[in-house]
Amino acid sequence: MGLETPSIPRAIFKVMNNTILGVSHLKTYFFTRRGVVKAVDGIDFELKRGECLCLVGESGCGKTVTALSILGLIDSPPGRIIDGEVRYNNLDLVKCSPTQLRRIRGKEIAIIFQDAQSALNPVFTIGDQIVEQIRLHLGMKYTEARDKAMTLLKEMGIPSVERAMSYYPHQLSGGMKQRAMIAMSLSCDPQVLIADEPTTAVDVTIKAQILDIFHELKAKRQMSLIFITHDLGVVAEIGDRAVVIYGGKVVEMAPVSKIIGNPKHPYTAGLIDCLPDISKTTDRLASIPGTTPNPIELPQGCPFHPRCHKAMEICSQQQPPEVRISEGHEVSCHLYQ
Amino acid sequence: MTERLQNIARKIGGPLYSNRRLIEYYWQRTQRNKLAVLGLSFIAFLILLALIGPFFTLDPTLVNFEENNLPPVGFATEESVYNIYTDEFTTTEISGTWKHPLGTDSKGRDMLAMIISGARISLQVGLIATGIAITLGTIIGVLSAYLGGWADNILMRFTDVMMTFPFFLLLVLIVFIFGPSLALIVLVIGITGWTGTARLLRSEALSLRTRDFVTAAKALGASDGRVIFGHLIPNVASLIIVIATLSIPGVILAEAALSFIGLGDPTTTSWGIILNSGQQSLDTAWWIAVEPGIMLFLTVLAFNFLGDGLRDAFDPKSNI
Amino acid sequence: MKQMLNHELLQIRNLKKYYPVTTGLLSQHIGDIKAVDGISFNIKERDILGLVGESGCGKSTLGRTILRLEEPTSGEILYKGMDITKLDKKGLRELRREIQIIFQDPDASLDPRMTVGDSIGEALIIHSITDEKERMKRVAELMEQVGLEAGQASHYPHEFSGGQKQRIGIARALAINPKLIIADEPVSALDVSIQAQILNLMMDIQQEFGLAYLFIAHDLSVIKHMAHRVAVMYLGKIAELADRREFFQNPLHPYTEALLSAVPSLKPKGKERILLLGDVPSPLNPPSGCRFHPRCHRVLPICHQEEPQLVEISQGHFVACHLYN
Repeated sequence: MGLETPSIPRAIFKVMNNTILGVSHLKTYFFTRRGVVKAVDGIDFELKRGECLCLVGESGCGKTVTALSILGLIDSPPGRIIDGEVRYNNLDLVKCSPTQLRRIRGKEIAIIFQDAQSALNPVFTIGDQIVEQIRLHLGMKYTEARDKAMTLLKEMGIPSVERAMSYYPHQLSGGMKQRAMIAMSLSCDPQVLIADEPTTAVDVTIKAQILDIFHELKAKRQMSLIFITHDLGVVAEIGDRAVVIYGGKVVEMAPVSKIIGNPKHPYTAGLIDCLPDISKTTDRLASIPGTTPNPIELPQGCPFHPRCHKAMEICSQQQPPEVRISEGHEVSCHLYQ
Repeated sequence: MTERLQNIARKIGGPLYSNRRLIEYYWQRTQRNKLAVLGLSFIAFLILLALIGPFFTLDPTLVNFEENNLPPVGFATEESVYNIYTDEFTTTEISGTWKHPLGTDSKGRDMLAMIISGARISLQVGLIATGIAITLGTIIGVLSAYLGGWADNILMRFTDVMMTFPFFLLLVLIVFIFGPSLALIVLVIGITGWTGTARLLRSEALSLRTRDFVTAAKALGASDGRVIFGHLIPNVASLIIVIATLSIPGVILAEAALSFIGLGDPTTTSWGIILNSGQQSLDTAWWIAVEPGIMLFLTVLAFNFLGDGLRDAFDPKSNI
Repeated sequence: MKQMLNHELLQIRNLKKYYPVTTGLLSQHIGDIKAVDGISFNIKERDILGLVGESGCGKSTLGRTILRLEEPTSGEILYKGMDITKLDKKGLRELRREIQIIFQDPDASLDPRMTVGDSIGEALIIHSITDEKERMKRVAELMEQVGLEAGQASHYPHEFSGGQKQRIGIARALAINPKLIIADEPVSALDVSIQAQILNLMMDIQQEFGLAYLFIAHDLSVIKHMAHRVAVMYLGKIAELADRREFFQNPLHPYTEALLSAVPSLKPKGKERILLLGDVPSPLNPPSGCRFHPRCHRVLPICHQEEPQLVEISQGHFVACHLYN
């Protein structure tokens, strides 16, 4: 609507390449009193139309900050995007004005958070919140917006939608809240949906239900998804491609089948090995020694080398270059030079 | 004995007694707030003044009608004297002398000495009354939260009653019955002033009570006393310090207000009493009222600045 | 008989924990939340019983009731043959030397205002090991046993990472040499790479100290890795209980099947996932008949009316389902 997006380039874009969102060389630092936190330190990836791209990594690796940076939601101060660009429809979101960004958020690119409880306003009913969102962004009439909200909730598999609309967040169970939140984020038919650990704090059964919803979003709406998770099991279920992040950098990027079946980076391999697998019986789990590094004092060279069992001398001195293993499979590791 | 005392101090003062690094951490955070540092400096200065000042000043009770109503150094006033023989007013200009740098009052007492002895009294009042109120509030609040159930109910309803109680009326009544005495005033302010503290600490302790580390302590077989003194109180200690710092100025003001309206202890020279004595001669000797007023203002401001600074420093969520 | 009692470390008989729900000024009793509703099982020495269920099924309450952190409403908890529901304060304190607990959230389980050394040493003080030197030595020993440096005893919890905090929690539980540890979702809040470290550590200390675990989790892949026997809990009742091998090879209860199929796996699944509809119903108002029937994919008419009993289908394999009666 208000977006000054020339229609022709957008069409060309679609034909020329299939990329809907491109992140290149993104660096987001937090300037704290204790030092500079290099939360995101040069991340590149592209999201293709209709695919589900998983950002994989442990807490503190920078995956959530990446998502927030895309939407310009970094608290400043202390945080700042110091370099890089986020391309969306000929726009560089990093350089967009706050007004432009506000129009894009929710309407073009939506985000859902891990903690559904705190993302929903406790003093309004679910219905009111979704209807409000729709009216704000799409300028619909109340009854229209209400119909749309009900359709969305139904799509999310919420039973007895009429009743659910009048519930307050605390009256819903964890899984229902998560669904209400997904419905709300979809209310303006965004092109891209970023999901920040939507399955982390929930039970396996609810996790399965939520993954099912995402499967349907992919199948029915051809939604382009960025799915942030630390759970490789979830990645295997839902992802098309995966980007493994460690210490604010991409260490490996490949189609999910290759990440799971043929991981190249020792960190990726370690993450896979240390998952207790229900189809196997082992006495001892493989584990990655040590802890995730302090983002203020990232190790020299490859950030993973202090925990890496294949570390060589060069790993502590030089940052590994990006190496292409095969089409679409890139890894940053000295082993493959 | 000392070991026992140290143990108690360690339990109650908890982290701030035993933990140098934590103190340093909080000190660093407090230091970032310039106003808080300013407030702290002023309070330190005031305490020093109250402690050693009286050794260097004149006797604050020394009456000398020869030198009454002397203005502070650098100021001058005119005094009209009626001469009964000539039936005329003669006007003489009086200027301040270094003998009485802050002037004298209507009885010729040295203002500097009175202000300093007033500082001592006001600080005593503030610290002792706050001490009583905070101790009561902490015990009642934390106990109420920890015990829960009917005990909580009774304690909190009692707190409600105390809160609605007209404390001022009680003071007037007590002063009327027992006569004005500083100790009594301090005691009454202390015994009636704990309600807010109790409520705040109860809500804080309520959220702590269900935390896993409290459950863990119980699972280890810890007694109720150990849970309360070893875990709950150390974890509300920073809040206690903030509440105390912020309630000291209120107490000092309360005492001053009581003195000002004539319910103060006339045998003392608290700032309120001086203010009260200066109010009649505001037109001729303004400094008698203004000087303690300025001190009260600065002291209250200093404590409030420090309290705000401490609150921010202790709050792990505030990112300063 | 006596020998059997020695062998069984913990026996739970028809344990119930209800929370009364009241309303109004006069606290009228309008019902009970039946968090634990008639549960029986045994844990042998050195046994690891895995307890699985969705959140709200009562598994944490069960763990806390066994420790008498919650007072049971009825039923028996026999520890080494002695009913601990009737213990007085002194007896309870003795019991604490035998049964300990590890919590889910490593942040909340340590007192932020205590050095970790003091946290670990607290149990020693409580149980009258008050000699300062001896205590320090023991704390250092414990810290090394869980893979921390003894020199870190004077540090505060916020100086440690999540995994390290969980190690401290384990050291604290080990301090007084318990025989049984209730591990309440000890790895749910940890990163994957750390999760494996903690699980390995728990295996090691189980061997070394000859511990028994009641290992509570919602993740069946973790349970499969840790447990010797597995119990599935649904709305305050046990739905299925079996040895690990039997449980994973031959799951009987439809709820177990659904739980198993819900576990995300790295390998693409051969069979279709059984998707459970809806959430766990409120324990204030559990469904009639079999509590699972509204979500069950193999529901029979009888399930609506009659509550199935837990019966032994084969050696050591118990299930509460009308399909097998």
